Amino acid sequence: MSIIDSTPAAPKAAPSREIKWLRRQGRVGRGALGLAVMVPLVSACLTVTQAYWLAMILHRAIVDQVPAASQVPAITALGGMILARAVLAWIGEAAGIRAAEDVKQAVRRQLFADLMRRGPDWMRQRASGELASQILDQVEALDGYFARFVPAMIAAGLVPVAFAVVLMPVDLVVGLLLLLTAPLIPVFMALAGWGAEAASRQHLTALARLSGLFADRIRGLVVLKLFGRAEDEIARVRGASDEFAVRTLAVLRIAFLSSAVLEFFAALGVAGVALYVGLTYLDMIDLRGSALGLQAGLFCLLMAPEVYLPLRTLAAHYHDRANAKAAVANIEAAFGALPEAAPSPATSAPVGARLAGRRALAVAAVDLTVETPERGTILSSATFEIGAGETVALLGPSGIGKSTLIEVLARLRGHSGRVEIDGIALDAIEEGALRRKVAVLGQRPRLFHGTIASNIRLGRPHASDREVREAAERACVLDFADRLPEGLDTPVGERGSGLSGGEAQRVALARIFLRDPGLILLDEPTAHLDAETEARVVQAILAFAWGRSLLVATHSMAVAEQMGRICVIDGAGQIVPFEAAAALELDGAA
Amino acid sequence: MRLLFSLYRARAAGLLLALALSCLTLVAGVALFGVSGWFLTGAALAVSAMSFDLFAPSAMVRGFSFLRIASRYGERLAGHATTFKILSDIRVRVFSRLIPLVPFKAAAHRTGDFVARLTADVEALDMMFLQLVAPVATAILGAVGLGLFLGFVLPDALVAALVGFALTALLLPILIVLAGRRSGAETVRTAAELRVAVLDGIDGHADLVTLGATREAIEAIDRATASVRTARLRQSWRIACGPAFVVLGAGATLIATLWAGLGTLEAGGVSGPLLVAALLAVTAIFEVAGSILRGAGRLGATSAAARRVQALVDTEPTIRDRADPVALPATGPVRFENIGFSYGRDRSILAGLDLDIGFGERIAIIGESGSGKSTLLALLLRLADADQGRIRIGGVDIRDVRQADLHAHVALLSQDAPVFIGTIRDNLRIADPAADDAALFQALERARLAEFVRGLPQGLGTWLGESGQTLSAGQARRLCLARTLLSPAKVVLLDEPTAGLDRPTEAAFLADLLAVTAGRTVVLATHAALPEGAVDTVYRLENGALRRNG
Repeated sequence: MSIIDSTPAAPKAAPSREIKWLRRQGRVGRGALGLAVMVPLVSACLTVTQAYWLAMILHRAIVDQVPAASQVPAITALGGMILARAVLAWIGEAAGIRAAEDVKQAVRRQLFADLMRRGPDWMRQRASGELASQILDQVEALDGYFARFVPAMIAAGLVPVAFAVVLMPVDLVVGLLLLLTAPLIPVFMALAGWGAEAASRQHLTALARLSGLFADRIRGLVVLKLFGRAEDEIARVRGASDEFAVRTLAVLRIAFLSSAVLEFFAALGVAGVALYVGLTYLDMIDLRGSALGLQAGLFCLLMAPEVYLPLRTLAAHYHDRANAKAAVANIEAAFGALPEAAPSPATSAPVGARLAGRRALAVAAVDLTVETPERGTILSSATFEIGAGETVALLGPSGIGKSTLIEVLARLRGHSGRVEIDGIALDAIEEGALRRKVAVLGQRPRLFHGTIASNIRLGRPHASDREVREAAERACVLDFADRLPEGLDTPVGERGSGLSGGEAQRVALARIFLRDPGLILLDEPTAHLDAETEARVVQAILAFAWGRSLLVATHSMAVAEQMGRICVIDGAGQIVPFEAAAALELDGAA
Repeated sequence: MRLLFSLYRARAAGLLLALALSCLTLVAGVALFGVSGWFLTGAALAVSAMSFDLFAPSAMVRGFSFLRIASRYGERLAGHATTFKILSDIRVRVFSRLIPLVPFKAAAHRTGDFVARLTADVEALDMMFLQLVAPVATAILGAVGLGLFLGFVLPDALVAALVGFALTALLLPILIVLAGRRSGAETVRTAAELRVAVLDGIDGHADLVTLGATREAIEAIDRATASVRTARLRQSWRIACGPAFVVLGAGATLIATLWAGLGTLEAGGVSGPLLVAALLAVTAIFEVAGSILRGAGRLGATSAAARRVQALVDTEPTIRDRADPVALPATGPVRFENIGFSYGRDRSILAGLDLDIGFGERIAIIGESGSGKSTLLALLLRLADADQGRIRIGGVDIRDVRQADLHAHVALLSQDAPVFIGTIRDNLRIADPAADDAALFQALERARLAEFVRGLPQGLGTWLGESGQTLSAGQARRLCLARTLLSPAKVVLLDEPTAGLDRPTEAAFLADLLAVTAGRTVVLATHAALPEGAVDTVYRLENGALRRNG
């Protein structure tokens, strides 16, 4: 199976890590892949029969002068073989596609499950579009490797040798000629493979570089235009393209020699067989004991190009391997590691402490320091508390770290120092328990593809329609939903299209109203709302928060005044009572 | 496709050479196989070696072999050389068409996805010639050649062979493309649903974690990948017909030719050797059908890419220069008069905004994110035109001057200013191509990046971007700031210049803003806390209008 990768003549003796990983993934589609691999081998048997049969028909017509009418059964049989090969081609192609689909589906599941296991800190540092592109587009690039390359590779390893052996009883010299070249075939394959791969790698690298430059200049085109430099960059794009072309062509000039080599052997096969057989007929060479019939000679000639056909097919699909390898490398770079099918990822037992069934949960943070890669130190040795059942407002200008504090308390962001919920260290709490008892409303909640109602129901999957509607009413979702023709069943699309930021936030608030948390963390729940709606939303929040603990980050003094206590993050990264900060000019908090 | 064909016209010579070599390769292959069959059969039938002309056929066999090897090599090289030239042409064409179009008003064009898609689309166009155009043209010319040959040797089989070849190599790929277009809809739909589900999971990761709903998200992906697979498998039944029909078409053509040939042979219309030659030639010409089929499989994606690129190239710029532009005064105040601007129907950003900035005055505009600060700066550069009101510089409406003059007069540090692939020197000189290293270091000094650059082994010559030095967000920001400060523009617009800088650096920069921008008009949009006396006047942007702060 690994004739390409393990042949000593190949420049790269050991298959690369990417290829090994690809092979492991191939196990998922084993059934279909096996079929896709078998089909060319069975089809090769038919090819031999078909060539033999055609040579026979021609021999009978030309030498024995059998009338065409009496050849009808033989020609019908020839038609049958062709039909069978067509059916096999169909099966092989369909099986290859199936194998590729099985593998892609499995890899996508693994990658996504892997993402879901990652921490929010890791996710925050990555562009969502890029991660999505790994799961969608890069995985798609594995298609050709399984659908076409693997069957072609195995056929190229077995079929030429088999053909040579089959030809030996017909004519020892032709058979031997091909059998003697047979040990060389892996060398040719390595040559062809090396050439094709080098060509395709060079081509891909050059293209990637060029596309990278092109994308870079387009991304910054506005800046170039404003500085009056855009026209000059045309020359640079042109210059870079030309340079890549020259450099790549220099490599291709050598790499394409491999296709010339393949062509050389294929032509040599045909020409060699034709000349040898022809000269034997003319008695100018006599290497056989017995006379050679036209049928045997034609059979050898018809088979000669077939011996090299699998190699050509392989060369044509070699770029599929290079593409798959590049895709695997991309996935590895984006994910940091290649995911392996975990034995049973779903059944891992919950680890960590559970939170008590108590309703209100207290929060205590001591010596809390948070540094972000984007904004440096946000909190520095801060101390902070929320008593059980207390309602606390958090003020401060935007960018000071209110959202960061909420993310820390929700265990969405790394920190140093000690944070406890209900007396248990935050890190030690079991994930499921934490999520059940701590509700979070982010500043830009995501609305998922579905309806307004299905988004609210995410809070409690088994909630009844009445409960969903009630939650929607309390969060003032009905204010806008009832104006829509489909009400709560209005579809919300990608990136929550159709709803404004404020509306999306109320939907996310309604989610929380369906839950039963002991601690509620809300990040600017009333941003973008008019004063009247804000007042109603705050009343609903306070009613829901009765007997629970609540922290609200806000810019609105009106909201803050409704809470039991007001805190402020100051410029030194400390969390201080509002009274202490009264002297501070609260820019942006008005 | 119009775009592609105009590009092909420009490179006609190279393409024709590649095409000619491709035809030669096919002809040499067909001829080699045909002559071999003719020679072999002729030799078998020869009464004695004396009566058989051995020289001509053996010379032809050798000749066609070497012709085939050489033309195959030449074909690949010539094809790729020309493809590279076209690749460069496409990029230059698209790039120069984009210059008057940017920035796009539609939000869909502002995302990184747009650049990624455009780059991928342009790439998809690159190989169109080698993958589809060349094989199809070769097949057509090959069919003509085969027709001529059969016309002389075996006229009875002419129609059967040509029809069989045309159906297999030309009509079948068209049918596959058409069938793919219809059945592809389901695949496209399920793939789009998968994309949405994946983005939901990634963008909504924090929400899913806090709701404890990651399991549900994984299940949603399982469902979406399963329906993608089902749709693809259903489509695969059609796709798999392609190779099957090539086998069938080649086989049926062979049998039809054989049947016609046997009849002619019996009637004495053709010799045995020539019959074999004709049959083998017909078999050999089908080699081109395989590459056409592979190219046709990619046509769907390629033509979609071509349509998108064509639409972009055909877009008319919304902001144009007047036919008779007036000169822009070198100095003079900037006035915004009753400006109104909105994105779409009901997202009003600015309404009734007035602002006077004296020449050389330094002002700051503060306000919440989303309040319209960046929009205000963009209007002054005509990156968009106001819906209402006018902007004057030195009394001249900016819509009456050439955009190039306006851009030379006003420099902007935008929030998303990029660092380009290239050296630090390249990056800075975008603002002033004539600047010497001393001037570059002066600008870096002002942006507080000079020390870092001096510490680099290659200094200003350090390569940035792909496989080069990477800058932190704060360093990248300061480099862009230095670039803007280097510009000789009289009006400097700074949009959040200190984003990504740590607090002490931010404070230091703002404190000497007045010094580094002496003699220029400055508009600073920020929500950083401004030290006392950093600027002349501070305005707050709220509800679409400005008021003096404090």
